Amino acid sequence: MMRSLWTAKTGMDAMQFNVDVVSHNLSNVNTNGYKRERAVFEDLLYQNLRQAGGASSQQTSLPTGLYVGTGTAVVATARNFSQGNLQKTDAPLDMAINGAGFFQINLPDGTIGYTRDGAFQVNSQGTIVNSSGYELSPALQVPQGTTSLTVAKDGTVSAVVNNDAAAPILLGQIQTATFINPPGLESMGGNIYKETSASGAPTVGIPGTNGLGAVDQGYVETSNVNATEELINMIQAQRAFELNSKAVTTSDQMLAKLGTM
Amino acid sequence: MDRLIYVAMSGAKNSELRQATIANNLANVTTPGFRAELAAARAVPALGGPGLGTRAYVLQQTPGADMSPGVFQQTGRDLDVAVKGQGWLTIQTPTGEAYTRNGSFQIDSAGLLKTGAGEIVQGENGPLTIPENNRASIGIDGTVTAIDVQNPTQSVEVGKLKLVNPANDQLEKGLDGLFRLRSGEPAQTDPAVQLASGGIEGSNVNSVEQLVNMISTQRHFDLQVKLLQTAEQNSRSASSIMSLNG
Repeated sequence: MMRSLWTAKTGMDAMQFNVDVVSHNLSNVNTNGYKRERAVFEDLLYQNLRQAGGASSQQTSLPTGLYVGTGTAVVATARNFSQGNLQKTDAPLDMAINGAGFFQINLPDGTIGYTRDGAFQVNSQGTIVNSSGYELSPALQVPQGTTSLTVAKDGTVSAVVNNDAAAPILLGQIQTATFINPPGLESMGGNIYKETSASGAPTVGIPGTNGLGAVDQGYVETSNVNATEELINMIQAQRAFELNSKAVTTSDQMLAKLGTM
Repeated sequence: MDRLIYVAMSGAKNSELRQATIANNLANVTTPGFRAELAAARAVPALGGPGLGTRAYVLQQTPGADMSPGVFQQTGRDLDVAVKGQGWLTIQTPTGEAYTRNGSFQIDSAGLLKTGAGEIVQGENGPLTIPENNRASIGIDGTVTAIDVQNPTQSVEVGKLKLVNPANDQLEKGLDGLFRLRSGEPAQTDPAVQLASGGIEGSNVNSVEQLVNMISTQRHFDLQVKLLQTAEQNSRSASSIMSLNG
């Protein structure tokens, strides 16, 4: 059958995938700490149907050959880890990282997950947990009777218990982690990323030092999705999809013409 | 039957191949740095036998790629670069250096600068490595600087991207879609090539042109089919004249 049918199919596939990525970004436009993704395209292999320089007669050779490309493919989805806006919430357990770094979360399977979503809560045991109920790592206990909680820029958490403002209790310190290649992290859903061989091992440290961003209490980091950019991407993907479907129609009409000869 | 059918068939086959090239260009209408493939046809007169030289078959060929620049797309990423005007970025492949206009780079877990597809980016003095806890910044001349995230006044020059600008007629697109010199040699560094960072170059496929080409190719194909039908009718008429029951 016609090569162009399959080539145009790869184009339609790629554009459909592009719309999938765009709609995922748009649906997470209000997700705390969400980092937008972009589909990365590459042209597929070319087929050498006639080699340039091949003989066209005994004395002459072809000045140019015949190479036909086989379409396009999505090779990767690249996540953009640029900073999202910091939105003021005034909730004492809402924290945002201003700069590089991830909060560490103890996952139920015993491994550590990484997140930029700093909307924390306290569970029934007084432990600071994320919205899914997973503990912040290293674990922090909020004592009974806490009247106010302060998180310093360097992650130091202290509590005033029973209105005794003169003697705040030091609860511990939040440590954040960075990766040399954050786009290599694996997305687990629930705003959690996991370390992979591509991301490299985490470098854990005190917020505000060694390139790690400071922790801002009373803020959450919003999604870094740029709605305008996503809409442009969507329009572009839709039109490219239409162009490729037009190529399918045209190739089909050519075949139909042959069939009814 | 007249040999017209073989000439018409060669025309139809030519249209089909041209259609494949157009479909590939349209499929890559959003591929960063893609260079549209050109399609050309050449007449091949059927010589050697007796008679008049009235038959010329057609041969489809790809004389190269359209080298005009694509649209600049702002992405805001530090590691996205586009070549301004003429010039190429260099990457390493198993078969030596290759050139691309797709400047959407990544760094891997070892800090090595790579393309989105995982090929190592070639600097003037070999691969470029960004130290840990550093942010990479690519200058207008291809200089890659690592800026300490903690102390932005501290920056180290990691190296310089190898930017080349060989003449278009010396370049050819390989089967992997990357460009290489026809001679197989690595190209000379050209200090005049300039970059724009924070964005990538889009595909240079002109969708209007491709669409018009596609329609014209389709009509051309229809004409060849019509010729085949005419040849068949001629042949049938000739047979009916010869028929005794006519």
